[in-house]
Amino acid sequence: MTALQERTELYQRQASPVPALEATDVTMRFKVNGVLKTVLDRISFATFRNEFTCIVGQSGCGKTTLLNILAGFLPPSEGKVTVMGKAICRPGPDRCVVFQEDTLFPWLTVRENIAFGLKGKERGSTDHLKEEVNRFLDLVGLTDYQNYLPREISSGMKQRVELARVLILRPHIILMDEPFASLDYRTRREMQNLLVSLWQELPQTILFVTHDVDEAIVLGDKIEIMDINPGRVHEELHIPLERPRHINQSGFSSYRDKLHRFLCD
Amino acid sequence: MDGKDDRKKITGKILPWILPLVLIVLWFFVSRTELIPGYLLPDPIEIVETASVYIFAEPGSSPYAGRFINDAAVSMLRVSIGFLIATLLGLPLGILSGRVAEVNSFFNTFINGLRAIPGITWLPLAMVWFGIGVRTTVFLVAMAAFFPIYLNAAAGARQINPLLLRAGAMMGVGRVRGSYAVLLPGAMPHIMTGLRLGLGISWAYLVLGELTGVPDGLGAVIMDARMIGQIDMIIVGMILIAIVGKLSDTLLITLLRISFKSARRMT
Repeated sequence: MTALQERTELYQRQASPVPALEATDVTMRFKVNGVLKTVLDRISFATFRNEFTCIVGQSGCGKTTLLNILAGFLPPSEGKVTVMGKAICRPGPDRCVVFQEDTLFPWLTVRENIAFGLKGKERGSTDHLKEEVNRFLDLVGLTDYQNYLPREISSGMKQRVELARVLILRPHIILMDEPFASLDYRTRREMQNLLVSLWQELPQTILFVTHDVDEAIVLGDKIEIMDINPGRVHEELHIPLERPRHINQSGFSSYRDKLHRFLCD
Repeated sequence: MDGKDDRKKITGKILPWILPLVLIVLWFFVSRTELIPGYLLPDPIEIVETASVYIFAEPGSSPYAGRFINDAAVSMLRVSIGFLIATLLGLPLGILSGRVAEVNSFFNTFINGLRAIPGITWLPLAMVWFGIGVRTTVFLVAMAAFFPIYLNAAAGARQINPLLLRAGAMMGVGRVRGSYAVLLPGAMPHIMTGLRLGLGISWAYLVLGELTGVPDGLGAVIMDARMIGQIDMIIVGMILIAIVGKLSDTLLITLLRISFKSARRMT
């Protein structure tokens, strides 16, 4: 048994054996041109505390729809989603989302964007708020840019702000919808490394949706592979590779081959 | 590079003044050559003299002497009250109908029907309802300013990026905080446009209201001057309304920028 499998086992046996997030038979049907189409078909999976789970699937397999359901933006046609054992019905700060698009408030500076959620959550002292924001600015390396407006920084920096404003809330789970898809290759690699190091520093349950096989293997403890038409979980794959991971690491390519095989079948 | 920027800056400073200057020169020309007689269009110098009497002279020394401050103040007060009423009604109603489909369908037909009525046709009715004077003027101003404020607030609230609302919701923002921390700033550019249009049209309807025989105000002066055939005073009144109107627009923008980050940073 590898170190990582051990760790996963450990999460499951921890004081709270309840999954951080569990989807049970989540089904979603949409009416498309008058025909009822099943977009998601009985999706079931669980992710445990501090686990990094990736969901991989082709474009159009319903990944974003699934994420919207998990976030509480959409009610599923059937099935149930629980967070720490409790059923969810609406969006909330226990399940934060890092979006694919730029969703920073354009009228707030980097600093104010990061402080936004905490300001509403905590009635505590402003000193504490200030310290927390400083800490997270530092963690994502944006201290020098704290007074910039979103339109004045690059898309890579914007994603760092999105990440920081969510991490600072310490939600039960962070849902990420292809957050790095629009970044160039190098920035994407940087962001992946940053994300993993942040995750290691501040243990956190993460659910990361991507269509990029390499990205999923670099990031995930386990990967849920999704089928298309209708979207369903085809298989769960554990990735016990050492971190930090790299695409030239031994063992990497065998997972990649496996994933490609699944996705192409 | 620097030279080019400098030249651009200078051009930008000069450009807005060219047309007014050309028109003034043309005005001098037509009145000095008496192409247009003085009783239709007085000489520019005469206008300046009338204006300085109206603004600076000792009150009582001539019919309009020194009345400007008082006239401007009462007009501004009427515009402010009418505009404030329009804002207090138009902003919340507009934002609400931009976000809630039911509210929108409840009000939309009615408001668009009302909007089709030319503002001036309210005048007779307003005079019957409110009599001649301040209340009629305030009513007309509020009536006219309401529509641009309402419509733009509704458009602003409707077109706000739904992802921003989602982002707010997932960070635990409730209804109250969502309204002033996400919705209002998100709609701010449109709201600002609506307020500026509303204030602009307020001045137009102020004059309409004051034409009905109130004793003071910038519009009243114009009407008064027409009665006794003082063309120069009419033109002075028009120019002063233009200046006061422009100043009030600048004041509005400044106040909004001071009060709202979103007004400062997004427009």
